[in-house]
Amino acid sequence: MSKILAIAWKDLRSTMRNVPALVMMLLAPLALAGLIGFAFGGGDSFQIAATKVVVTSADEWPPGSLPMHGPPALAGETFVAILTSEGLDDVLEVTEVAGAAAARRRVDDGDAAVAVIVPADFTAALYGTEGTTTAVELYVNPSQEFGTAITESVVTQALLDFNGARAAAAVAAAVAGDSAGHEAAVQAAAARFVQDGGVSTALALTDRAPHSPAGEQGEQGSTIGLVLAGMMIFFMFFGASNVARTILTEDHDGTLPRMLTTPTTASTILGGKFTSVFLTVTVQTIVLLVAGRLIFGIDWGGLEVVAVLTLVAAAVASGLGLLVIAVVRTPGQAGAIGAGVYLVLALLGGNFTGTATTSGTYAVVQGFTPNGPLLRAWDEAMRGGSLADVADDLLVPIAFAVVFFAVAVWRFRRRYA
Amino acid sequence: MSIVEVQGLSKQYDPPKGVLAVDDVSFAIEHGEIFSLLGPNGAGKSTTISMLSCLLRPSDGDALVDGHSVVGEPQAVKSVIGVVPQDIAVYPDMTARENLVFWGRMYGLGGDELKSRVDEVLELISLVDRQKDRIDKFSGGMKRRVNIGVALLHRPKVLYLDEPTVGIDPQSRRAILDGILALRDQGMTVLYTTHYMAEAQELSDRVGIIDHGRMIALGTHAELVRIVGEEARVDITVDKALEGMVERWSGLRGVTRATIEEDHAKLLVGDANEVLPRLFEEAALGGSRITSVNVSEPNLELVFLHLTGRALRE
Repeated sequence: MSKILAIAWKDLRSTMRNVPALVMMLLAPLALAGLIGFAFGGGDSFQIAATKVVVTSADEWPPGSLPMHGPPALAGETFVAILTSEGLDDVLEVTEVAGAAAARRRVDDGDAAVAVIVPADFTAALYGTEGTTTAVELYVNPSQEFGTAITESVVTQALLDFNGARAAAAVAAAVAGDSAGHEAAVQAAAARFVQDGGVSTALALTDRAPHSPAGEQGEQGSTIGLVLAGMMIFFMFFGASNVARTILTEDHDGTLPRMLTTPTTASTILGGKFTSVFLTVTVQTIVLLVAGRLIFGIDWGGLEVVAVLTLVAAAVASGLGLLVIAVVRTPGQAGAIGAGVYLVLALLGGNFTGTATTSGTYAVVQGFTPNGPLLRAWDEAMRGGSLADVADDLLVPIAFAVVFFAVAVWRFRRRYA
Repeated sequence: MSIVEVQGLSKQYDPPKGVLAVDDVSFAIEHGEIFSLLGPNGAGKSTTISMLSCLLRPSDGDALVDGHSVVGEPQAVKSVIGVVPQDIAVYPDMTARENLVFWGRMYGLGGDELKSRVDEVLELISLVDRQKDRIDKFSGGMKRRVNIGVALLHRPKVLYLDEPTVGIDPQSRRAILDGILALRDQGMTVLYTTHYMAEAQELSDRVGIIDHGRMIALGTHAELVRIVGEEARVDITVDKALEGMVERWSGLRGVTRATIEEDHAKLLVGDANEVLPRLFEEAALGGSRITSVNVSEPNLELVFLHLTGRALRE
């Protein structure tokens, strides 16, 4: 046993001194996960900067048409209040300015991406009954398409809600049969609807974000977490292969034959190599899990389930790495063939795309890869799943690991017996 | 009883049509002896060492090392041998000390014994001061010393050295040869392979000459040179025609044979020191002047040439 540990420790130490290998095993998955997470905007730590918007309202009561019921409330003021509400802080940084000219100047000067200009007849159009229409003006900086699109979306939604409120009030008044006071009734109903705050609630973007059934933050999978889990398993294959490849390089360099001239059996040497591969990949996984937690704030799940997933992932990666090395003859072949195998498995298993959205034949294929079910298990763990919840998903990876190890041992024993 | 007894050892790669690298080789090595296998590259020396190291399974025959069969008891054989491979086989990214500690563990050492043996071997190979430096920072000679030191950690009864001086500077080579002689003086048995005649001649108590996988001669230096006779060879060139001179020289006392070879005369003589003055006198009497003389004492090179018709370096 001491010889096995001596071999494993020697390889582990060599790996830790191999800077290119460490970059491949540790930095590459973190960097890729960070970039992919940023690109797809799913991580809790990755937020798109709020679009700078200026808003101005010229809205006023039409002469001689002051409201009959309740306090006067200009629809333009309510509209501005919607845009400046706290619920939109994450996406819009809205500043109110005086006058349309000032608002446009802010856009021209590059101080804002969009100017929202509410016309003077905004309230008249909303509460009136004579079919008058008006338009809110969006004055945009053409180079800021993304921010413009977000602002346009918010403004459009608000206007739809205003129109909907007006239509609903008109219908309500008609049903009530208040023909004499029809116009006043529409005006009052629409004003109440607007003042109730229902419009602003409907426009809140956070309320429109998809929710998991449980609705609790802790049970939602983290996008960056899923991406890093995929990258982690993908690069674990390379990490395992890198260490397993030392069997071939040591054979070539003469240290393996020399080991075989010592009173150390081939089984002990292979045991040491297998242990070193497993230990290295386990250390790699732990480092990535901790880094993921510290850098991206990923909640990987309960300690017990994370420990089991780590060991199963390390076993799968080690078995596959050893199997690839067992069937090739040279370190060069190991690099080329190994990279191909790992890439295909990563594509089939969903390391780059995730496992949640797959269906049909692809989902079936994914379920029979060593990495696909493992990724599902990580996803489940990050959503608060217990060991029992992930147990089914672990059966396939464990079966693959056993088969990989068995075939690798058989091949190596034939080669070095 | 010999510590190494090789009996009809053969190795054929990819039988039945593959190369017969070693063909029915037999020899024995006595305790405390340096035994050299001398032969050109590809003669079968390394294959023989590999079989005696239990790295290759013989196609036929067997060898006993300290009474253990290389075929039937490989682990027992491995525990009494130390193998120094031809190519440096240590870990370049580890320090000298880390290498020795690792290889010591592979030989089953541990604890205080391992530490003390590592210290002793570092002293022996003169690398105490550099023990914490990585091997890849070492010169070729220093790497060779570590390569040899690894095989000494467990105090082997028999040390195999497979061409340990290939590609190193004369100073390191001298140090290695002196080290091997010192080990022999301490009672270690050494099996040494080389294609350098001078090394075999200097180091060995006995030499086995191997060629094309077969042992073609075996014995002490004196026994081997007796194969070509104890006569020295004298090669002479003169400024006139050789025919008349060869006839005159062949009649001199002490000259066994005189023949013409291309542009010079080849003479076999009993004692070169005694005969040479007479050769010069006879040439002067014949009206010729000797322009060059080369005397070759009998050696292993001549033995190999005599037995194979080829020079050892070919």
